[in-house]
Amino acid sequence: MKAKKIEKKGKTVKAVKAAKAVKADKKERILKELKSIVGEKNATTDQHILYAYSYDMSFVTPKLPDYVVIVHTVEEVQKILKVANKEKIPVVPYTSGTNIGGLCIPERGGMILDFKKMNKIVKLDPEALYAVIEPGVSHGQLADALYKYNLRFGWPVGPPSASVASCAICHGIGHMNARYGLNSQEITSMEVVLPTGELVRVGSCAINPDAWHSCLPMPQMDGLFKGWLGSTGIVTKLGIAVHHIPPILKIFTVSCDNVDDMYSYMLNLSNYEICDDLTAVSWWLSQVPIPYPYKPKPDDAPEWFSYATTFSFTEKEKEARTEVWEKVVDEEKKKGTSIQVTHYPEEALKARTQLPSQIVGSTKNYCKMAGGGISWPGTFTPANRWAPIYKEWRKIMIGHNLSPAVRMSMYRGVHYGMLRAMTPFNKQSAKETENARQAIVECLKVDLDNGGMPYKPPVDFSTEINKRAHPGYLMLMRRLKKFLDPNDIMNPGKLGI
Amino acid sequence: MKWNIPNLKELEDILWRCTACGTCKEAYEYGPPSVSSPICPAGEEFGFEGFLSSRGKIAFARGILSGDLGWNEALIDAIYKCNVCGGCQSQCELDHKPFIPEIIEAMRRKIVADGVGPMPKQKVIAQSLNSYDNPYQGPRRVRLDWTRPFKKQGKPIKNILEEPAPILYYVGCTGGYNVPVRVVPQATASIFNKLGLDFGILGESEICCGSTAMRLGDVGAFQRVAESNLELFRKLHDEKGLKTIVTSCAGCYRAFMKDYPMAEEYDRMMEGIRVIHTSQFLYDLYMSGQLKFTESLPWKVTYHDPCHAGRHLTKFIIDKDGTQLWAGAYVKLDDKDCLYDIPRQLLKAIPGIDLREMRRIKANSYCCGGGGGVMTGYNDWAARNAGIRIQEGMETGADQMVSICPFCHYNLNQGSQGIGSKMKLYDLTELIDKVLPEKVS
Ligand SMILES: Cc1cc2nc3c(=O)[nH]c(=O)nc-3n(C[C@H](O)[C@H](O)[C@H](O)COP(=O)(O)OP(=O)(O)OC[C@H]3O[C@@H](n4cnc5c(N)ncnc54)[C@H](O)[C@@H]3O)c2cc1C
Repeated sequence: MKAKKIEKKGKTVKAVKAAKAVKADKKERILKELKSIVGEKNATTDQHILYAYSYDMSFVTPKLPDYVVIVHTVEEVQKILKVANKEKIPVVPYTSGTNIGGLCIPERGGMILDFKKMNKIVKLDPEALYAVIEPGVSHGQLADALYKYNLRFGWPVGPPSASVASCAICHGIGHMNARYGLNSQEITSMEVVLPTGELVRVGSCAINPDAWHSCLPMPQMDGLFKGWLGSTGIVTKLGIAVHHIPPILKIFTVSCDNVDDMYSYMLNLSNYEICDDLTAVSWWLSQVPIPYPYKPKPDDAPEWFSYATTFSFTEKEKEARTEVWEKVVDEEKKKGTSIQVTHYPEEALKARTQLPSQIVGSTKNYCKMAGGGISWPGTFTPANRWAPIYKEWRKIMIGHNLSPAVRMSMYRGVHYGMLRAMTPFNKQSAKETENARQAIVECLKVDLDNGGMPYKPPVDFSTEINKRAHPGYLMLMRRLKKFLDPNDIMNPGKLGI
Repeated sequence: MKWNIPNLKELEDILWRCTACGTCKEAYEYGPPSVSSPICPAGEEFGFEGFLSSRGKIAFARGILSGDLGWNEALIDAIYKCNVCGGCQSQCELDHKPFIPEIIEAMRRKIVADGVGPMPKQKVIAQSLNSYDNPYQGPRRVRLDWTRPFKKQGKPIKNILEEPAPILYYVGCTGGYNVPVRVVPQATASIFNKLGLDFGILGESEICCGSTAMRLGDVGAFQRVAESNLELFRKLHDEKGLKTIVTSCAGCYRAFMKDYPMAEEYDRMMEGIRVIHTSQFLYDLYMSGQLKFTESLPWKVTYHDPCHAGRHLTKFIIDKDGTQLWAGAYVKLDDKDCLYDIPRQLLKAIPGIDLREMRRIKANSYCCGGGGGVMTGYNDWAARNAGIRIQEGMETGADQMVSICPFCHYNLNQGSQGIGSKMKLYDLTELIDKVLPEKVS
């Protein structure tokens, strides 16, 4: 299928691109082989099915895979990877495709391996507080299972139907990141199929098949599969730490007029480590939905809002947390900052604290006004650089007629955290999509130059990261990749190396 | 008559509101405790994105409109492998939400308009509608077979075309022709008789409501029968005193409530005529004290919400002129017409009934698998899916399942047999008939 352009009401919609065409006889032969592994119903080259996997919500150009395969067992995964490795066919692991970075778009065609039916909760240990899950287990499904034991995991503000494992292995962020760090820091063990088809284990489950409690004290080989965007192996089981849900929820909300004051407040509060989530959002992000195109903030509205989510087991514990928070607010006021205790917009607060949530999951609060598209410069950035970067981002975003819908969240302590600008756009229009892409990449460069690092980076971002990378880092990365994936079949093209 | 039924091209802008976030794939409620379960029967059966929920169907629609996807058998087949149950629609929060079933049916309308569908087994429905005015290839006289017991008892049911009556009981083709489902009109008429209501039926002259044709995209066939029905209803109102049309078929009810109003002349044709589902009708009588249960029915039951009498009746508030949000924005929903609580309240009112709820209920009800032309086109799959629902019902500890749709009635009973379950699907009217004394004072 050729790339083609369709003119529509003065807008241009770019149709899907195909990678280098696979010869028909090879395609047929491979399909037959795949079907012999997963069954007639679970492998296809049907154009309409390929098309449904060719795009996501991001600005990344849609591309067609050559095959889509639904897998159910580890053995099937192993057999498929052996075929793919022998035939040098790209393999893109897929669970729900909601990563916001085009990470499941098959840059070089090949095979989408869809894991949504590999969705068993293999083990749930409510005493040792860990679970073992397959890659297709969704946030909704896990939340449902954990609630029975009054347990929880770090739920992202993403779709409830998306995968817990994919989020965790891509250094995803959940609603307890201020307390426990990233979801990848909650990983306790892993079972992985290498691109060559061998089955490996890392963490305690490597030594005792039933022990999934910890990646330490062995060498942290789980790092070979975390943050690699599915380019080093396929995770088939994941151990994750789960936590009790303390019964008393108290959310502290403040607002202020500028980002410096908000940073000061967050820095101060996070020193006490009393929050599960300490997040601030700009006025544009506090709106449901984010205004599109850019709309000026009303003069009398604060520019920043923050919610600090705390959970306590007893009233006294809650009071102690409240005491700390009040002290921080007092101190900030005394410093002469514009911090004020405030009412946080209700639906936005609900969306971010009642997780998993359909309000955020459905992208209502992000995309409802813009339509169809969303991407972000999503970064881990030193907290003390948030304010200067935000000021630059604001200019860039407004310059592109986009709302600077920025979020800042502390990760476990005060050192660094999430800085990201949710950027919805009208995906129907190629022009508006490109406008958003340009703004995002510009923002990203500012962040990289300030010591920030993008997460779940689309290819455009990886290129920017690698331009700045230490040569030794790139060399090591290439070597590891070559070692694990000699034929470069796993999600190729995503690392920008 | 002029109809405002959108074609796929007219829906193009709206289907670009979808972000492909996939929230539509699972029935989810925060709770707490939260509930999360699959919601898309096609997704459960066929797995691939594309088949799965509105995200998948919208991918097809985009591909068709962009020219990336041309008609072929596999694509057409995939478009018909959907119950148009609206379970995915219940999860979505974006501006295309109100139009999700419309987008799927608009693809089907295009298939039919382009002369490439529906699927072979479903074509029989269109042919049958043309030849017999019903989708079951049933001769007209067979339509009245369900009334035989009443004749035998010397209580023939009035034909409203011959004798005036304020109430028309519109039986629907499934109740009339589908033999195991005839218990539904029989129970309904029996209740009406016991209550001494002045009602009539259309007898052999009843024709299909057009729902099945509409669900399959055969808009021409739908319009033909719908126009004929609207004209008849008007005439019956003017000449025979018709005020209320009662139907126990969720499909007919959905057609009258959601599809017929797309006719520009709907308001004029239906002025002074109220359409009501049997469950609502009986509930009103119960609330006014005319329907009283004296006997007890010590059954453990669960209730299945049919899509057509439940979430399909949701009204979506859309900001048409941009005064609330922006032009075309979906603002909120109004589900007061959805028959969620009414059947449950009636069930609970029956002495002895122990109602156990399934996990997926009301707006998150899991479709029986029969709708959207699937029971005709892919009966094996329809029954398999019904088996999944029966299994869910059994997990509640209930012995029987109750619903208010003849389609669900047939399909869930098929599904139950398929999995070797003892659970049977009963229509709510069957239960009410059992506990209603012969003569209500
Ligand atoms: C509105 C919105 C808000 C979001 N908010 C958050 C948030 O707060 N925090 C957050 O972390 N994310 C967020 N996300 C991103 C995303 O929804 C989550 O990270 C999600 O859990 C990813 O799951 P998925 O099933 O969509 O993964 P996919 O997109 O299918 O996959 C993600 C990556 O994992 C790889 N992969 C998939 N399966 C495997 C496997 N078995 N082995 C190895 N690699 C694999 C893929 O190739 C891809 O590179 C948000 C998304 C949206 C749309």
